[in-house]
Amino acid sequence: MKRLLKIELKKILTYKVFWILMGLYFVFLILGILMAGFIINSWVDEVNKHIPIAIPHVRFYFFPDIWQNLTFFASIRYILIFPAIVIIILITNEFTNKTIRQNVVNGMSRNEFLFSKLQVIFFMALFITFILAAGILILGISNTDAQGMAMIFKKMSFAGGFFIQIFSFMIFAFFLGFLLRNTGLSIAIFTLYALIIEPVLYFILKIPKLQPNNISQFLPVNSVVRVVEYPYFPMLKNFMGLRIQEQLSLLDCVVPLIYSAVMIGIVYFVLSKKDL
Amino acid sequence: MEKVLSIQGISKRYGRIQAVNGLFLEISRGQVFGLLGPNGSGKTTTLSILLDLVRNDSGSFEWFGEPPSKESRKRIGSVIESPNFFPYLSAVRNLRIVADIKGKPYDDIDEALTLTGLYDRRNDRFKTYSFGMKQRLAVASALLGNPDVLILDEPTNGLDPQGIAQMRDLIRMIAQKGITIVLASHLLDEVQKICTHVAVLRKGIKLFDGEVSEVLAVSELVEVSSENMEALKEAISGHAEYKSLTRSEDKWLVYFKNPVRPGELNEYMHRKGIVLTHLSERKRTLEQHFLELLNDNR
Repeated sequence: MKRLLKIELKKILTYKVFWILMGLYFVFLILGILMAGFIINSWVDEVNKHIPIAIPHVRFYFFPDIWQNLTFFASIRYILIFPAIVIIILITNEFTNKTIRQNVVNGMSRNEFLFSKLQVIFFMALFITFILAAGILILGISNTDAQGMAMIFKKMSFAGGFFIQIFSFMIFAFFLGFLLRNTGLSIAIFTLYALIIEPVLYFILKIPKLQPNNISQFLPVNSVVRVVEYPYFPMLKNFMGLRIQEQLSLLDCVVPLIYSAVMIGIVYFVLSKKDL
Repeated sequence: MEKVLSIQGISKRYGRIQAVNGLFLEISRGQVFGLLGPNGSGKTTTLSILLDLVRNDSGSFEWFGEPPSKESRKRIGSVIESPNFFPYLSAVRNLRIVADIKGKPYDDIDEALTLTGLYDRRNDRFKTYSFGMKQRLAVASALLGNPDVLILDEPTNGLDPQGIAQMRDLIRMIAQKGITIVLASHLLDEVQKICTHVAVLRKGIKLFDGEVSEVLAVSELVEVSSENMEALKEAISGHAEYKSLTRSEDKWLVYFKNPVRPGELNEYMHRKGIVLTHLSERKRTLEQHFLELLNDNR
């Protein structure tokens, strides 16, 4: 296991494209997180000009809600897509450079190949989650008053939810890249599906007549987004009736993991049967 | 002789094309074994099956007397088709990945790069290499960790004459170390120069196999004619070195087991009371011989 990870690190760590995309990702992630609270409260100020009783500011960077707020912003599709694209590039590179063939010829089993890629996805997801959690702790501690500090770990489970989100989303990307074997095509289809096709499909399925039993929430990308569906703004609940979570729901967490398991199963099956 | 590879009736079909058709083969330690056949005869498919890249439809094979596994592949160095490496990594970094996969130390890397003449360029990225250098890096990678067997698929394909000469010298040098070599080629000349044993393939079927000196032996060929062709035929078939003959217009084409000098033959016929009206030596080229081998079994 350590040997496979060592091999993967050799493939990745000197790869410029990897660093550029991951760099861009962290820039977007950090900017997004830092600006989100400011944007939201200026929006609240705007609303307050038109209504008699002022809405209080959202306590965006305060414990414990900061866990939920920041994992929500970190898991919107437009930011999540970056590490997914990195994964697509890493897996399709193996096919376009034919290095998967060379690895197998040299004595890596097909299962080891799959396992090594899953390790990359797992540890990348873990690393990103860790960075985000560190950021949340720093921002939270510098913004929360003494009273709030008692609640520091209350909603930490949202970091776990974020891990499930980013891990599953990268597995989806891995799945598509593995099946298509072509970098450009995989990125185009994945981006198109995640950012346009599925939201449209979701919207259509939301029409009450078409979906008596809430089927739209089980669309794959939506199942990921749904794990942390909204930031903790109680007023949204009051005004718009949105489903604001107090805690993670087990069902929400399990659905994307089931998708991931099925996709890994399909890749395992195809890899063991197909010619390389 | 210790068996390195034993193939029992493997077959592979791609849609309507039967790429390999019930192939049996045995390769022993120390042989330099040539798989000879025209393009599309199933050489690459066979090697791909042996290396777990392609799944065979039926039949089985054993490496080192055991069912194939990743462990057996670690004892085999392979150069298959084009050289496959990460373009953005240097030769050394690419070879470290290979060594990691094979579970071998990095100590051999410098030696392999020196042997293949790449040591000076070892820290340059793979994508900056010429085709000949890429091909030699593939050989260097195959040599890591002292393999028991080296598999080479058309190793001189696409190389310039100098590159071809270097590659052949390299292969001979490796063969001298006692490493068993399996070499696929469509070039008869190449197989004859390098190999000790050969199997000739056509359309996925093995036509012959054996020692190169037997299978590819070029018998001597002489054209003769005389007034009485039947008497000539009878007389010449009594010659000690006679092998076979065929009629070609008004002449006999006579094959001998060993070279026979024209003067000696003339004297022999004279003693038998036959006057030759025509006598000439004909050398068949190796390529002609190869084509005949393939045609005989159509």
